[in-house]
Amino acid sequence: MELFKPEFGLVFWMFVAFVCLYFILAKFAWPFIIKSMEDRADFIDKGVAYAQEAKFQLDNAQNEADKIIAQARAEQNDKLREAEAMKNKLIEDARSEAIVEAKKVTDAAQVSIEQMRKESEKQLKQEVSEMAIYIAEKILRNKMENDDAQRQLVDQLLSEVETNN
Amino acid sequence: MKIVKILIALVILALMAWGYAGTAHHREHAPETELNPKEIIFSHLCDNYGWEVPFSHSVKIPLPVIVFGSDGLSVFSSGKITGGETYKGYRIATDGDFKGKVVQDTPQGEIRPWDFSITKDVAGILISAFIVILAAFCLRNWYKKHGMKAPRRVPAMLEFVVEFVYTDTIRPIMGKDAPKYGPYLLTAFFFILTMNLLGLIVIFPGGANLTGNLAVAMVLALCTLAITNLTGTKHYWKEILWPDVPMALKCPVPMMPLIEFLGIFTKPLALMVRLFANMLGGHMVVIVLIMLTFIFTGMAGVAVGAATSVFSVLLALFMLLLDTLISFIQAYVFTLLSTIFISMAHVHETE
Repeated sequence: MELFKPEFGLVFWMFVAFVCLYFILAKFAWPFIIKSMEDRADFIDKGVAYAQEAKFQLDNAQNEADKIIAQARAEQNDKLREAEAMKNKLIEDARSEAIVEAKKVTDAAQVSIEQMRKESEKQLKQEVSEMAIYIAEKILRNKMENDDAQRQLVDQLLSEVETNN
Repeated sequence: MKIVKILIALVILALMAWGYAGTAHHREHAPETELNPKEIIFSHLCDNYGWEVPFSHSVKIPLPVIVFGSDGLSVFSSGKITGGETYKGYRIATDGDFKGKVVQDTPQGEIRPWDFSITKDVAGILISAFIVILAAFCLRNWYKKHGMKAPRRVPAMLEFVVEFVYTDTIRPIMGKDAPKYGPYLLTAFFFILTMNLLGLIVIFPGGANLTGNLAVAMVLALCTLAITNLTGTKHYWKEILWPDVPMALKCPVPMMPLIEFLGIFTKPLALMVRLFANMLGGHMVVIVLIMLTFIFTGMAGVAVGAATSVFSVLLALFMLLLDTLISFIQAYVFTLLSTIFISMAHVHETE
């Protein structure tokens, strides 16, 4: 049974061949092959990660853009509303101011009218009283030419004073 | 198309049966020789000094015989002695302890010289090594030339196997030690695989029963043994000589250390026997199946033998396909177990 008895020559050559093969391949082939394979695997992994990141960012960018647009729109609305409110307020203010001013003017006018009225009344009174006195003088001059009439008048006046008191 | 293929196969089988019947009929007139299955099987599985070419027992590819006898080194072609001749006192023994080996006739009788011949098996080993180098350099050159591009065709196939063995097996088991021992394990894997597959090809440069030879399997196992124990950590040796077991098991009688110590040798022994027995068994079954034809012819005549040949060839074909699978599995198992043994020798206290 030769198969079960290791032949020295065969063992020797097998050992030599195996060791030589190992040193050749371990020096020139395997490390390079393994390194290349790992490098490529890393490269692919990195590529995938990069693509995922890019996709994520792209999706995010869309969201971000939407968000910004929405924000801008809201701001726009705010601004418009504010402007509207300001406009209304301005108009309101102007109106109320105008009313106040107009009131002031009319008040002043009324005061001056009143004053003028009073003055003219006063003047009229004076004139009327002067005229009455003048007329009364004239009448008196005519009437006092008669003594009876004078007496009658004094009596009348005295009685009047008495009733008044 | 399928039917055509089946028809062609059947025609080939029928032709084989017919051809065999013809030769057998022819031989009936030749001097009858006793069919000795055991001898035929082992002559196919054993080492030889020449390499037989198909369809002939007499024509052999001569290989160099290198012997170191009593008169010093002699190198000559095996063609000078395979016919049974004697050359410079060297001949191939036909019987005795050294049957089938080169012996030297000296005045003290026949002696076995130091035999470094490039026999059939040695040539097969060298061819396998050459094929492995070609394969590895094919892959390496692809990376050199194409950089990051994915390989195509042959390099792609090789890369798949390297990936399977290194990335999926060695690296998960060895961890950070993988780059250090990966080259050895990959070399062992590809070398064993190539030898296994070459053994299945029946004609030159295949046909040598390499891994089914104990010497070859032994060298491989010894290399793993050497690497395991020469690179083992302190903790590995502590586990063997003073394992963490109850004191009674190791103090008066060092039972556990003895068992652990035997384990150093049984592990590679299992590696060796597994590879050797699987490959030898595969080859033997194929040869026996083919031999059935001749055994049945001897027992029941040419017609039965011819009919048997169809079945035995089909069965042998099936066995060869199975052997192809086994070739891969055994190479993988050897590598996997070597990986585990080596990584087990690199345990650290903290782990």
